[in-house]
Amino acid sequence: MSLVVENLRITGPEGLLVHGVSFTLLPGEPLVLLGETGSGKSLLAQAVMGNLPPGLHAGGRVVLDGQDILPLPPRDRRALWGRRIAMLPQEPWAALDPTMRAAAQVEEVDRLVHRRSAHDARQHTAARLARLGLDGAGRRYPFQLSGGMNQRVALAATEAAGAGLLIADEPTKGLDAELRDTAGALLRAEAEAGRLLLVITHDVALARLLGGQAMVMLSGQVVEAGHLPVLLDAPRHGYTRRLVAAEPARWQAWPHRQPGRTVVKGRNLRKSLGGRELLGGLDLEVAEGEVVAVSGRSGCGKTTLGNLLLGLARTDWGSVKRGTWVAPLGMQKLYQDPLAAFAPHQALGQGLADLRQRHGLAADAVRHLLPRLRLNQALLVRRPSEVSGGELQRFGLLRALLLNPAMLFADEATSRLDPLTQQDVMMLLGECVQERNMALLVVTHEAALAEKVASRVISLRTAAA
Amino acid sequence: MTLSRKRLLGGAMLAAVAGIALLGPLHGVDPLRQNLSDALLPPGGAYPLGTDHLGRDMLARLAAGARLSFGLALLAALLAAVAGTLLGLLAALRGGWAERMLLGLADAVQALPALLLVVLVTAFAPGAFLPLYLGITLALWVEFFRISRNAAAGVLARPQVEAARLLGFGTGHILRRHLWPEVAPLVATLFAFAAGTAVTTVAALAFVGVGARPPVPEWGSMMTELLPYYAEAPLALLLPALLIFLTVLGLHLLAGRERA
Repeated sequence: MSLVVENLRITGPEGLLVHGVSFTLLPGEPLVLLGETGSGKSLLAQAVMGNLPPGLHAGGRVVLDGQDILPLPPRDRRALWGRRIAMLPQEPWAALDPTMRAAAQVEEVDRLVHRRSAHDARQHTAARLARLGLDGAGRRYPFQLSGGMNQRVALAATEAAGAGLLIADEPTKGLDAELRDTAGALLRAEAEAGRLLLVITHDVALARLLGGQAMVMLSGQVVEAGHLPVLLDAPRHGYTRRLVAAEPARWQAWPHRQPGRTVVKGRNLRKSLGGRELLGGLDLEVAEGEVVAVSGRSGCGKTTLGNLLLGLARTDWGSVKRGTWVAPLGMQKLYQDPLAAFAPHQALGQGLADLRQRHGLAADAVRHLLPRLRLNQALLVRRPSEVSGGELQRFGLLRALLLNPAMLFADEATSRLDPLTQQDVMMLLGECVQERNMALLVVTHEAALAEKVASRVISLRTAAA
Repeated sequence: MTLSRKRLLGGAMLAAVAGIALLGPLHGVDPLRQNLSDALLPPGGAYPLGTDHLGRDMLARLAAGARLSFGLALLAALLAAVAGTLLGLLAALRGGWAERMLLGLADAVQALPALLLVVLVTAFAPGAFLPLYLGITLALWVEFFRISRNAAAGVLARPQVEAARLLGFGTGHILRRHLWPEVAPLVATLFAFAAGTAVTTVAALAFVGVGARPPVPEWGSMMTELLPYYAEAPLALLLPALLIFLTVLGLHLLAGRERA
């Protein structure tokens, strides 16, 4: 089994998007494609899969087991899906059918693709799930399973069709560190079982976990290729170097400031959601100039804690007191998904103009802040969906700073951004703390990030889930 | 067929009906003037679309009917759209008992068949138009209420609204910048469908003798009057039916939305 890609070029209406990429994929040695959003790595996978967006064309050769599949008509390409080439869905809980039990979703592959009898399919599926450590999970629905279990169910359904080539596009997007390690181990096991594995990611930690070969892409071109982990330990190209340096574990620790007046103080905070106790009597105080990080796995109540302090949610027990000197709008928030935090139908400049008008701010307030946040004035006429995630998050920061907040609550504000952008946005936040003596509450699932930025880290543990 | 083609076709159908409505005054014949010696004439000569069983000019009657149907339907649908949307937004924003009461009311209204509801309201003043408007509005507001409430509740749950509140914006801003852009296209689409429903409701009621009554030239009551003469003059019966068909189909095509 092998996949040979020769001089693969992808052209769009505006010209060449991917410039002649060649590689060979062999069983047992995964290939990791690293690169930032828009570098063409996903297009490459789509060209191999045969589901390029309309208007884009692929040239060159994609040889799967001795057959060039690129010239095949779309019908024949689709016939390969699942049976010969499979794609692991991003965010598996969204890809699974919420109305079907886990086992049924895997069984139907055996029944419909391999035409096995219902009895056979059930036995095969049971064995498959057991091998992935999912005994007992088959009778449950996706929403009753944890993120990691859903990921394994999706993997079981993907591999059930028996494809020799597995493509995973950003398999760790939105996962916390622990789940990322599980996902990495699962994928490596697939490669060790003799499958061809192509993984697309901007997650350097995942690349290290997988091993094998790696290619680094930048604006449609492969700028560096080599074996892992050598390529990451001794990066040669400037971009690779920056990518490696952007790992939170390699950041420089932020300088700590002397804490000033107390901004907000929570005492004996208790909160339950859906019958589960998230917080059991927690005390937390945040002061001016202080960076406090709250870390823990998904669903442990990190965001809830921040929302309690901001007054966006009510405590079941305990009290939240903000400093009397803090203005009514003196606590602001940055959201995990910046796109969801802006009115989608309105140009960014319009939103900022509304804000200026609402609070009678100086006419040039926005214009002063734009260069400080490295934002181009031309972006003001665009809608939120027409700028990049990093730019939009900086606009989120900008509108919060317009109100001169005493505290900023960054709720996983960089977890959906690629590593370089994450570093960029976090650095800006750090500078704001220094310049404005502002308090910063960082909620993150990345322990390394919390360690580097905060003077105090609060680790929340899930109470027996 | 692409969406723009559908819209074009729908627009053309409505334009044809509007053309008939405008031709009436140009034609300058009283829709009520009878001429029994000219009864049930085929189109031609002094009567471009023929005459009915009492020798009345069909073009003049159809045109008057178009103005009546359009006026009635649009007004009733507009009233329902404004009331339903406002109540829907109110329910989503206020929540609590206001929302529960409105939802209960909507359920109660929907439990009755719409036609029956209109008949009930018109029974208070037979032959008058005002109860007809009110009855249709009463039957139609529920959908506007439900659609706008659900859409608004969905938007209100998004971080964008929480962010706006944190930045100090009030309900007016949230209505204008966050809710309205999402709700307005839905309401506009629904409005076209509701207007179509109103047209058929008025015609159906007139056909069974509720609302508009002879000699008022209304498409539905015209069909009732002409039904016995189907064998002699099929065209005279088909014309009002065709206009109802064109109006409703035109509105639906115009309201078509991109499939998600």
